[in-house]
Amino acid sequence: MAFPLPQGITPSEIAFLSEMELVTVVPRQRLEILELLGVSPSGGSTELLQPPVRASVPLWLALLLKRQRRINIVPPFWLHPESLSFILQIETEHRDYSDAFSPPPRLPGQQSVGDRTASDKLKPRRTVDGQPYFPTPPFLPQNIALAPAEATGPGREAPSLPYHWLEVGSMLLEAASDDLVDPNQTRRLLKDLREVRTAKMRKGIDVLDTAAMAGGGVALTGVGAMEIGEMRGLVTGIVENLRYFSGFVLGKIGVSKEQARREQLAEEGNKDYDDTQDYGDSMEL
Amino acid sequence: MSYDDIDAILTDAQKIPCTFDLEVPGLGFLDGNPGDEIKAGTRVDLPLWLAEMLSIGARLGTSRLVTLDLPSALSTRVMNALKADPRTVDLRSLAPHFYRLGVRILELFEEEEMVDILIETFRKRAAEIADHAHNPRGPLVEEVDFLRGLDETERQLFRVAHDSAKEVRVWAGEVKKK
Repeated sequence: MAFPLPQGITPSEIAFLSEMELVTVVPRQRLEILELLGVSPSGGSTELLQPPVRASVPLWLALLLKRQRRINIVPPFWLHPESLSFILQIETEHRDYSDAFSPPPRLPGQQSVGDRTASDKLKPRRTVDGQPYFPTPPFLPQNIALAPAEATGPGREAPSLPYHWLEVGSMLLEAASDDLVDPNQTRRLLKDLREVRTAKMRKGIDVLDTAAMAGGGVALTGVGAMEIGEMRGLVTGIVENLRYFSGFVLGKIGVSKEQARREQLAEEGNKDYDDTQDYGDSMEL
Repeated sequence: MSYDDIDAILTDAQKIPCTFDLEVPGLGFLDGNPGDEIKAGTRVDLPLWLAEMLSIGARLGTSRLVTLDLPSALSTRVMNALKADPRTVDLRSLAPHFYRLGVRILELFEEEEMVDILIETFRKRAAEIADHAHNPRGPLVEEVDFLRGLDETERQLFRVAHDSAKEVRVWAGEVKKK
């Protein structure tokens, strides 16, 4: 408590991390391959920029080159006004998502809804010293633009908000608004989405006591990095105090209630818990 | 809750009512008669750390010096008010470290119901605090009253919530820094 540094990471740090997201660009000038450390999942160096071939570069490089007017950024599929209004409609009107966030993009290896057969088996990547790992955002291609065939074809997926949606969206609006389709509309939709989702986050606070004591949880599937960062201090503060009151106090009065509730839960079995749903959501909290 | 946690020390300094069961020589200064003995049956307010020490005989089976009473901040009247509406109670005027005092008292007393009331109070008020921290609506009368009634634990919560919301707004360029 006496430590002056805030808990967790600050918004500018979250934004810094999200600058590793790959975005699609159309170069205006030729740029040779840059040998860097771990820029993309595929390797250490950036792609060769050769106009007018599309390439994927990390957001920080794209913003830098954009400011020098050397490239144009192709906005990611989800950042189109139509996609955003579609997502906003899900968030506000869909019955299943009145309390939950809209579904996040499909992770590699995760089965899509209604398509249980054709799933590509997820293979772990290897670190330099051979440890297996699964990439998470920003090392997933969630912000690259789709090829025209993919974007309009019959098998295309519904648009969904990636993990770093607010950061990437805001940064692109700030630095590359002339590359976006209807930037004013986009800005308005992002603001609306943010307000809708903040309200849902707020609803989650009311059920935090079950999360703190009865082994329950608050579903945060589809939450964004900035949203977690904003709520971290408050939520951990509430849960910490509730735990302190209930566990510490009840531990003295006979059998603690927490334990009693856990036993009761164990008898019922965790039927409702679907572990494919919360993959990748519990990180960083 | 470490050794030099200032809030824990301040919590222990809060006074709770005690009744002396025995006559103790030399303790009269507690009752305003320095140098005298303190009579059995005298009621004095003692800091929590001292009261706990004096009443410890009860746990060891020997005759104890004092009997503890519930402090007024945790009386039945307050508990009923909290049950009715947690949001309108001014916890700060009852005890600056209300929840921590509650936890300490519950270590000494067996009050099953009080635990549930305290948890429910904290939960309801925490949701309210979150609202105020995220949407500062300006100095409305009821808002100022509510925020003035927060105890120290809740104040820290409000500060954390308010700061993180503000930092995001600063990052988004909606407000100027400082």
